[in-house]
Amino acid sequence: MKMLHNIQQFLEDLAEVCQAEWGRIFGNTGVLLIFFVAGVGYPLIFNGIYVQENLYDVPVAVVDDARCKESKRFIHKMDATPEIEVRFEAGSMAEAERLMAERKVNGIIHFPSDYGERLAQLETARVGVFCDMSSFLYYKSVFMGANFAMLDEMKQIEFTRYGLTGITGQQANTLVNPVGYDDVKLFVPGGGFTSFLIPALLIMVIQQTLFFGVGMLGGAAREEGTQLASIPPRLRRRHHDRVVLGRTMAYIVLYGALVAIDLFLIPRMFNLPHIAQIGQLTLFLLPFLLSVCFLSITCSSLFRHRESGIVTLVFSSIILLFLTGFAWPQSSMPDPWRWLSYLFPSTHAVQGYVRMNSMGATLHEVSFEYLMLWVLTLLYFATACLSVGTGVRRRPRGKPHRSGAQGK
Amino acid sequence: MKTLFDKLSNVLRRELPRIKAHPRYLILATLGIAFSYLFFLTLMRDGQPQKLPIAIVDEDGSYFSRRLCHEIEATQGVRVARVYNSHKEARAAMQRQEIYAFLHIPHGTYNDVLAFKAPHVVLYANNAYLLSGTLSYKQLMTICNLAAGAVQREVLRKKGMGEEQIMGLIMPIEIDAHLVGNPMANYQSYLLTTILPGILGLMAILLTVFSIGMESREGTAGEWLAAADGRIGVALVGKLLPYACWFIALQLLGNLVLFGFCQFPMQGHYLTLALCSVLFVLAMMSAGVFLYGLIPQMTNAICFSAFYGILAFSLSGFTYPVSGMARPLQALSVVFPLRQNYLVYVNEALFGLPLSYSYGHLCILVLFLLLPLITNSRIKKQILSHENAA
Repeated sequence: MKMLHNIQQFLEDLAEVCQAEWGRIFGNTGVLLIFFVAGVGYPLIFNGIYVQENLYDVPVAVVDDARCKESKRFIHKMDATPEIEVRFEAGSMAEAERLMAERKVNGIIHFPSDYGERLAQLETARVGVFCDMSSFLYYKSVFMGANFAMLDEMKQIEFTRYGLTGITGQQANTLVNPVGYDDVKLFVPGGGFTSFLIPALLIMVIQQTLFFGVGMLGGAAREEGTQLASIPPRLRRRHHDRVVLGRTMAYIVLYGALVAIDLFLIPRMFNLPHIAQIGQLTLFLLPFLLSVCFLSITCSSLFRHRESGIVTLVFSSIILLFLTGFAWPQSSMPDPWRWLSYLFPSTHAVQGYVRMNSMGATLHEVSFEYLMLWVLTLLYFATACLSVGTGVRRRPRGKPHRSGAQGK
Repeated sequence: MKTLFDKLSNVLRRELPRIKAHPRYLILATLGIAFSYLFFLTLMRDGQPQKLPIAIVDEDGSYFSRRLCHEIEATQGVRVARVYNSHKEARAAMQRQEIYAFLHIPHGTYNDVLAFKAPHVVLYANNAYLLSGTLSYKQLMTICNLAAGAVQREVLRKKGMGEEQIMGLIMPIEIDAHLVGNPMANYQSYLLTTILPGILGLMAILLTVFSIGMESREGTAGEWLAAADGRIGVALVGKLLPYACWFIALQLLGNLVLFGFCQFPMQGHYLTLALCSVLFVLAMMSAGVFLYGLIPQMTNAICFSAFYGILAFSLSGFTYPVSGMARPLQALSVVFPLRQNYLVYVNEALFGLPLSYSYGHLCILVLFLLLPLITNSRIKKQILSHENAA
């Protein structure tokens, strides 16, 4: 009987805290802005920014000092690649450099005057490729385009040259290609920048908006001296875990909706990779959301003003994004940074989310990340309880806060 | 009659003790910037990821496959983390993120090479991770080409050809790649020259809005305006001047660290870049004043400036070029000072172009400084209305 009563009391406590928390959230425009406008707005804008997977037909200028049939053929082949488009035939290098300086082209292909001559003499001919390094995507396109054209051109020339030395037919064929290779781009075969960057950004948006929103709630409460108002009197001395759980319940309900939009709906709307099983992915994201909630509650009592979290920590979004290892691989990260990265739910969530949703991994293959997320959940649950406890104890001793000159 | 200068020094004399009494936010912002420098400079200290783990599926178990292994070991970019027996194992390892690519050498490859049957090896790369996938793919492709060349050379040698003749045969064309302004394709200098100034700009705009907003929040705005004799422009300049000086000094110091200490490529003039840095910081702060004028309520103004400051990284176009974005966003990119800062950096550091190429970008930054003129009266009105209400 006693136990039943306890459970009932427990649930009532949770419901009361949860309700009070909703009251605080919906009474604070800043938090609403962060939770809903930023939470949905960012993913939509990112999808507008990164519309193409790859850069196609990057404009290049050609300087053909050789003017022979081989160079003409090379140029046509380059133009035919999806990567580059020969937009200008410049008369001189100076002219081509001017075009590049004016950002009309992002690469220059230069055929020196001895190009045809060297080929005729069965020597190695050289082609100069100048890449615009202002974005590595230009570099990638220009370099790949020139390279594909060159490989094709090389095979053709090799074949004729073998013919000249008396090697012909099948034998020449195998000599041109003694060991062939096929390449298979695994996972997201047509993929490029968009399907690589946006999934990581989506996870970051969830974590950071929740963190700053909860931080703002904490700061606002401290500013107005209402830290205790949202905690029922009977929970102020003990059972801080119920406060933490009740609040988390309030956030999870709201963020459940946001996760559904950002991590499930948006990838389908914008045709980003979405091959994970919904059930498995939900299971994976549960400890992510929980640990982010607990981490946010832990830190929220540190903020003095509702805005101070944003002012001091916004830059961390960029650092955390790099810590996830999605851009700079984890295997090349200095150890201290890798250890640091383990402390943030986003690291494991990005790794797991990308691998499940883009690479078809199951929970089994991301078991390390999954386990780490649960470890962080437990860790931050403990710190959140402590943080609520210190918040409650600190309040009575502190001087009564000004109720805000115009905060109302 | 007080001169403009008197009013300004009045505001300044009021502001400096205020900062001194509550240096918390300025210190935190500075620490944040310093941490960002430390973080990014150590994170990418190699310039390019080195020794990326890849695997080999060696069904052949021959002299040839072992030699390929050794050749891969000799490269900087990748290392053979493991040798697997089946494609399935390697694929699972890829899903566990233990490797970024693998080379599949089917059974009988070496025998086929010897018998001139042109065997095929297969190269698998993880396309879900752009940088590591592409890099390891590129390395493996090079190794396959080299291996093919080695076989060709061996065959031709047996036919009694000289080295020069062989080279001409198997290497008819060579590409001379010139990576303009960044010869080593260094990621550090590529990313950090925009990310780090961007972080500082983000701090500058947030602190601008915060410090103006706090006057209202604490009910001291009236006193602040009075110190400037009711001139809102003077009040703002006086209040923000110490912050501006501090952030400009940090930005210039940052340039010194990047281009001096770390020796990032610099083809042009430091002075132009320094001028751009000064204008960039002022432009970000002006944007902050403007935003506060549009939304004279601190919480919302801070939220919007954070939103704006974070978006700047995407819309500056330093990773994904603006020309690849949707049309309306291309136009929108102009409203981010970080975009101009990046374009001037490219002109100066990568191309070493004459100053005339950067005039336009610098002028746009100057235009940002005029933005507050539009909304200053609103800020003043807001302060006065609160004053009257109190």
